[in-house]
Amino acid sequence: MADLQRPVTLVEEGPAIGGLMAQLDKTFPTNDCAMCILSPRMLEVARHPLIEILTLTRLTNLSGEAGDFTAHLSRRPRYVDVDKCSGCGECTRVCPARLPDPYNLGLSRAKAIHVPFPQAVPQAAYLEPEACRVFRGKPCEACLKVCPAGAIDLHQTEEVLVRRVGAVILAPGSRPFDARGKAEYGYGRYPNVVTSPEFERLLSATGPCAGHVRRPSDGTEPRRIAWIQCVGSRDASLGREYCSYVCCMYAAKQAIIAREHDPRVEPTIFFIDFRAQGKGFDRYYERARETHGVRFLRSMVSRVTQDPRTHNLEITYVGEDGDLHTEEFDLVVLSVGLGPHPAAAKLAEVCGIETDKYGFVKHPPFQMVSTSREGIFTCGAYQSPKDISETAGQASAAAAAAAALLAEAQTGLLPKAEYPPEREVSQEEPRLGVFICHCGINIAGVVDVVAVTDYARTLPHVVHAEHYTFACATDSLDKMRAVIEEQQLNRVVVASCSPRTHEPLFQENLRKSGLNKYLLEMANIRDQDSWVHQNNPAGATEKAKELVKMAAARAAELEPLKEFPVPVTQSALVVGNGLAALTAALTIADAGYQVHLAALEDRVAFGGLARKQHYSLEGHQYRPYIEHLAARAEGHPRIRWWPNSRVTSFSGYVGNFRSTLEYPGESRELRYGVAIIATGGVEYQPREYLYGRHPRVLTQMELENRLTTEPEIVAESPTFVMIQCVGSRSPEHPYCSRVCCGEAIKNALKIKELNPEAKVFILYRDIRTYGLKEIYYKKARDAGVRFIRYEPEQPPEVEPAGEALAVSVFDQNLKAFIALEADYLVLSAAIRPHPLSSEIARIFKLPFDRDGFFMEAHLKLRPLDFAASGLFLCGLAHGPKYVEESIAQAQGAAARALGILAQKQMVVGGRVARVDPKHCVACLTCIRTCPFGVPRVNQTEGVVEIDPAACQGCGSCASACPRKAIEVLHSRDRQIISKICAIELEEMAAS
Amino acid sequence: MIIAQRKPFKEISEAVAPYDKILIVGCGTCVAVCLAGGEKEVGLLASQLKLAAGLKGRRIEVGEITVERQCDREFLEPLCDFVADHDAILSMACGAGVQFLAQLYYFKPIFPAVDTTFIGVNEAVGLFTERCRACHHCYLGLTGGICPLTMCPKGLLNGPCGGTLNGKCEVDPEKDCAWSEIYRRLEQQGRLDNLKKIVPLHPHARSTTPGQVIHPAYQRRYSAYE
Repeated sequence: MADLQRPVTLVEEGPAIGGLMAQLDKTFPTNDCAMCILSPRMLEVARHPLIEILTLTRLTNLSGEAGDFTAHLSRRPRYVDVDKCSGCGECTRVCPARLPDPYNLGLSRAKAIHVPFPQAVPQAAYLEPEACRVFRGKPCEACLKVCPAGAIDLHQTEEVLVRRVGAVILAPGSRPFDARGKAEYGYGRYPNVVTSPEFERLLSATGPCAGHVRRPSDGTEPRRIAWIQCVGSRDASLGREYCSYVCCMYAAKQAIIAREHDPRVEPTIFFIDFRAQGKGFDRYYERARETHGVRFLRSMVSRVTQDPRTHNLEITYVGEDGDLHTEEFDLVVLSVGLGPHPAAAKLAEVCGIETDKYGFVKHPPFQMVSTSREGIFTCGAYQSPKDISETAGQASAAAAAAAALLAEAQTGLLPKAEYPPEREVSQEEPRLGVFICHCGINIAGVVDVVAVTDYARTLPHVVHAEHYTFACATDSLDKMRAVIEEQQLNRVVVASCSPRTHEPLFQENLRKSGLNKYLLEMANIRDQDSWVHQNNPAGATEKAKELVKMAAARAAELEPLKEFPVPVTQSALVVGNGLAALTAALTIADAGYQVHLAALEDRVAFGGLARKQHYSLEGHQYRPYIEHLAARAEGHPRIRWWPNSRVTSFSGYVGNFRSTLEYPGESRELRYGVAIIATGGVEYQPREYLYGRHPRVLTQMELENRLTTEPEIVAESPTFVMIQCVGSRSPEHPYCSRVCCGEAIKNALKIKELNPEAKVFILYRDIRTYGLKEIYYKKARDAGVRFIRYEPEQPPEVEPAGEALAVSVFDQNLKAFIALEADYLVLSAAIRPHPLSSEIARIFKLPFDRDGFFMEAHLKLRPLDFAASGLFLCGLAHGPKYVEESIAQAQGAAARALGILAQKQMVVGGRVARVDPKHCVACLTCIRTCPFGVPRVNQTEGVVEIDPAACQGCGSCASACPRKAIEVLHSRDRQIISKICAIELEEMAAS
Repeated sequence: MIIAQRKPFKEISEAVAPYDKILIVGCGTCVAVCLAGGEKEVGLLASQLKLAAGLKGRRIEVGEITVERQCDREFLEPLCDFVADHDAILSMACGAGVQFLAQLYYFKPIFPAVDTTFIGVNEAVGLFTERCRACHHCYLGLTGGICPLTMCPKGLLNGPCGGTLNGKCEVDPEKDCAWSEIYRRLEQQGRLDNLKKIVPLHPHARSTTPGQVIHPAYQRRYSAYE
């Protein structure tokens, strides 16, 4: 939202942002560290000038209407001033009071005043009054005495804040089920029964046992670990009939990671249906089973008992063979389901939006991010249980919906700084200034700052050195500028904290004094020195000297770099003609930008695969909705629409792309700033089960069509047999098509609605009606639809029997063959990528995943972006999904695209890669290494070129180049080498 | 460098005789340097084919294009439009290039226009001699930089055979005996002790084809690990 140049107030109930993901160890299906991918995002939010973060705050009243709401917010006291606190941790060190650490879910203890977790944003301590001695009437105030910043204020009171806003996005997230509600599993009574979030903390390196899993009762390393699925999900007895979407996958992930930590672990997962419906999930599941030795047992556990002596746990279950087995485990993990956050009910009431009986937001048909009240949007697990990538995509969608609503409103204005012209210094001898920061007592408390300053004066090229209490304070920055001008410094070294947080600040200061911002070098003498060597002040001082010396050596080699603004072409190209393409085009056009809609097919195909169907599982009609969108797209003043067109060339870089568009009889050059690829998918045409050879064998889509156009086919109570996973989850196509279970149940319910006497058998492997779609699975069972499970090793066999068909299947539950006489055989055929997508991929140089769908930049946090910036994807081109999910994704991709268009101009250049044409041998290594597809061969010169406007400066090419022909500016070899060579190796060895 | 030799014209013209539109694809790297399949040779062959066809009263179209290297997909992909316009492809690259081109444009008949001979050096203009058999196991450190496997016709690893005479090879008395050369080189460097080391059997098993090398830095990319 802030990237769309809208000021944002981010209201969080807790003391830090990040939510549940901040507590996760790894994420499926890539096993990426959750914090490593989340933390940069949180810092980005913290740094954004248009984002105001309000922690410990809740919304108490919302009045007004869409476009002009007044929000009343109530902020609980933190007792720490966020702006003053540097997160140094002095207060935590002296605090005598302890409480169960909420970040580690009570598995460890924390001090009453502490920073919520190491990477917390805001990076500031907060005080829990319930645990604090002062608030319990006892003398203390130890923290007040030691705080170097004077940030602690015990007299803070609850505050009421008022903000006028145009739109509200609700993302309160979810809360895992309280496993005490499932008393038969003994959580809360047996110490070695833990919940999955707790196990996540046990696995985490920042968790209570630093990543070495130990069981709570005796601290031993558990070997036999069992996961019990569906705790608090798919459970009518608890009033939680829905599926929680993520539990199957996180259990598989935890099992894999637990084994990675300790190969002696024997993981067992007790489950009902394994729900691996997302992109790459099924491969992950197969790998867990085949490669990682995770045992999957399809059985619902009725209870867990404890051996009181050993605290081991006994689980009794019905095995695949139908017999009762009892097995002992060291640790039992309950895979608890997700429910709306407890505070969400109040939030819904305050906002006046409707929720379903579980507390999830109700949305208008096909509009997952909308609510019953205009101007209020939602995303994430509050909408329905979902995983991180779905959440990230939906969050973008909510931003797009809000942006479209506020298109006419004034955008936020970023203050534009005026800088003096840059001094030309490249011909001058280096004149270095070294500025050393005390960081209060953070550095000066350990390091002898004066000694370091004196030492710095002796270094080559250094003409000035001094130290400040806080180098980042405004008065220090002013003084620094005065010195730069007075001494005619042309390189600056700041020895303080991390460049991660403070480099932009000092760079700006250089700009203000007329120096190029790349003439700054920082030495991190806090995080990498005073903090880690607190017990060795003399050593820390020596190390600080070395760090300063290294920084000075590199600073002398720095060179000014040019950055230049490039205007962003204010239009977008959308490729495709499905629902996703239409939605993306309309969202961008509604937000006020020109859209070129390059439709692959004719007008009648508008709506893509969705158009070939009639109604959704929830019973909503597709066609009126598609017609409405198509009519709007055709009549929209900002959408140019070309039917039957092909994009035949692609060049340029983000903000300034160029393509040739060919359509019948003509071709045309297009210029655009961003592109969205929404080429859609197709239904697989089965070769299995007599499809195409027997008139009574249909696909689900054909059946749906028949049921709508000729409902009389069910009049004589025929028998329908449906076979799931046709063309999916096979060795050739090891992915789940996600929608087939829902489609089968949709059609089964329709048949039963038309004629309850008609018989429906669904032959399945796992029913994957995730989230709230589970309700329809239950409905289907209640309506008398029979579900028969088969294994891929024993697939159903089909023989023609005159008009009808004879189906024989081995029922895995009965352990017996069943013969069915089918009047209609319905195949749940897979979703395949659109045949044209490989052509599009070639033109735009886009990668595929292993199943032929387009591959996004990052499965978790950038699900809608391609690695090449300025290109986005959505809909079936990304992977199989339901209509409403495609729509939400299209909105999300539109938001990502709008984020670039809204910038109007981009600053490029600076730290980018440069090719030395004298050395380049066109070996293509860089072209294959670059994650953004930037390097290109100049055919006439026979060398590679890297466009500085397109280069992202990641350095992959520079490190891969075998001829050392590529360097990333500001990280040139000689700069790095001079820094390393500054270390006195002999001195180091002697000390 | 890979050394190749242009095939006799008769063989080439017979191979492409059934086709009227022929695309000749040259390669700008090894075969260009050894004067067998670069841009110039593509032009020569094209003229030859057209003239020969003209003498028989036929008119054929011959497309000419030379890419940087035929052993990199990125240089071959832009050819798709040319390939579509022709009935057959004549590749002037080494065997690797021909196969890679054939793999990418599997739907077109493809013919080699050169015979790939060996890995060698450019001794003087127009003179190319073999140096390496790509045997997967290099002994050059031991043998003073002279390959016994390549330079000795018998590929002996532990000294010369009995047929060496006055430093010449019994297989071809015009040629120097590789092992005599090795002896002299080591003697010059004072490293004759090297000859006392017994070299074990050559690991011919490694030469099982087709070979594959995965650079250690890219192991993860190509293994099942994820």
